Amino acid sequence: MKNKTKRTNNACKEQRAAYLFLIPALLGLTLITYIPLLAVFGISLTDLNVGHFIKGGTMPPVQFVGFQNFREIFQNPNIDFLNSIKVTVVFALLAVVCSIVYSMLIAMLLNRKMPARGFFRAVFYIPYILPAASVMISWWFLLKYDGGLINYILVNLGLGKSYFLSAANTAIPSLAMIAVWTSGNLIVIFLAGLQNVPRVYHEAAEIDGANAWQRFWNITIPCMTPIIFYNLLMSLVVNLQVVVPALAVTKGGPGKSTMFMTYLMYQIGFRGRELGQAGAIAFVFFIVAAILAFILFATSKSWIYNEGGDDQK
Amino acid sequence: MNESAVQPSRVKKGSLKRYSFKSKKRSEKIADTLSLLIIIFMAALVMLPLWWMVRSSLMKSIEIFKWPPQFFPSEWLFSNYNIKPTTFDFWRYLGNTLTIVVPCVVFGTITAIFCGYAFARLRFKGKTFLFSLCVGSMLLPTMVTLIPLYIAWASLGLTDTYWPLILPYLCGGGAFNIFLIRQFIKTLPRELDESAAIDGAGYMRTLVSIIIPSIGPAIIVVALLIFISTWNDLLQQTIYISSREKYTMAVGLTTFMGSFKNDYAGMFAATCLSFLPGVIVYLFGQRYFVEGIVMTGMKN
Repeated sequence: MKNKTKRTNNACKEQRAAYLFLIPALLGLTLITYIPLLAVFGISLTDLNVGHFIKGGTMPPVQFVGFQNFREIFQNPNIDFLNSIKVTVVFALLAVVCSIVYSMLIAMLLNRKMPARGFFRAVFYIPYILPAASVMISWWFLLKYDGGLINYILVNLGLGKSYFLSAANTAIPSLAMIAVWTSGNLIVIFLAGLQNVPRVYHEAAEIDGANAWQRFWNITIPCMTPIIFYNLLMSLVVNLQVVVPALAVTKGGPGKSTMFMTYLMYQIGFRGRELGQAGAIAFVFFIVAAILAFILFATSKSWIYNEGGDDQK
Repeated sequence: MNESAVQPSRVKKGSLKRYSFKSKKRSEKIADTLSLLIIIFMAALVMLPLWWMVRSSLMKSIEIFKWPPQFFPSEWLFSNYNIKPTTFDFWRYLGNTLTIVVPCVVFGTITAIFCGYAFARLRFKGKTFLFSLCVGSMLLPTMVTLIPLYIAWASLGLTDTYWPLILPYLCGGGAFNIFLIRQFIKTLPRELDESAAIDGAGYMRTLVSIIIPSIGPAIIVVALLIFISTWNDLLQQTIYISSREKYTMAVGLTTFMGSFKNDYAGMFAATCLSFLPGVIVYLFGQRYFVEGIVMTGMKN
């Protein structure tokens, strides 16, 4: 009896300690994540303006405007929101697929025994740690039509010059290429996954006479599917929010070819001061991202290989 | 010819012993050499843009876009790095950026450790629910919450201060970091904390004297990730900071980019300078970095 009360006492103490440790996370989850998520829909139904927060301003009081902001962003040809959705999704898909393939390949190679492996790992990781704005500015000069390094290489390879970031039809692929260049974080996560692929599988297959390609396709890839899924999901979320290229160099152009949703939201909310409309953009963005993530989750069951029931989520 | 080039390396490499269950086939070794060659080629390709920036930063402005381009400056002009503070005030921007980054990294890492520890080791009501909320928030794009947060900070009168950029990091430094710490702690044997508890250590004591010393790599990874995300957050820095003397490195560089007039050499020098802090920090933590993520067993 005494023992039991002692145990419940301990459990109480443990629980109290846990909640104390979790105060930061609880604050973060409520105040800066989930409440704002709910609030964004409310904001999109008002005519809130940056002017409302300037002291001594002469803005009329905030009004509820129903779905007018949504109507505005979809119907105003100057905003051209549908174009924005299109370029964002195209960029994100292109960047995600290319960087997953690239980083998986590099990770496979880096996972082999080779001299100076640590050095090479660092080399492929460094683009990721450089400030995104500086990276964009660097590439802007590298991809210049006249005197840019990349065009010099293309010419020497016997290929034609390209306008890259200064032409509407090549801007998105060029940005996707830069995204691939900076995907060092995916390489590290793939490397981590590769080192968890049980070596015995490979050894057994090798004894059974499977060649390298068969081992890659039937052992490495199935074992890696959970990591591939994780990387797909995370890099989708990151790339859908692309904004630094537009903010740092392209300013949404040429034309509206890089008018990404986040940049459009920035333009309308902070340049145009229409926080209500910006909220509507954010809300639609959330829906678009949720749909894409849902598609990924829905198809994942068919291609993720589950290794027994031993890893608990 | 080819064979003799490959042969000596077989004798030298001690790492081959790991595969000792079977002598290594020649085809395997050709594959090794080939993959090394591919990696060297790719690494050169990845580094080329960076070299190009460094080289351009040391040249005269008129030389930079000369055709055909030179791979090395004819004269190494380190004086390009003497940029006038009125155009690009490196030290001020560095100081301002560190004012944001240092508290974010320190407090973000500490709170991530607290939360990760609670999720990994302690039993409490609502744990599964809270943890799924936490993991779920990893998927939530931060741009969705940007407008509501701006409104909140603006109504508190905190725009054009660094608080909106710092305070969110005091909340566990992001769900991914909490998750990383939790995974890492889970790989430690429970007997460690139990023996500490028998010796009468409280939870805080166990955390500080037993857990933290054993999760060094994870702590370094988390600190580095927070460093990168705060250092890079151009969008929020642009939104919240408006007065020139408060500019961060990224905002200062973007402004320079938007306004420079043919001072290409200065532009390149400024960009190279902005690379430096990240590279230095990374080189310090690099040894632990890959291992840190590997050991957490990113299994989800």
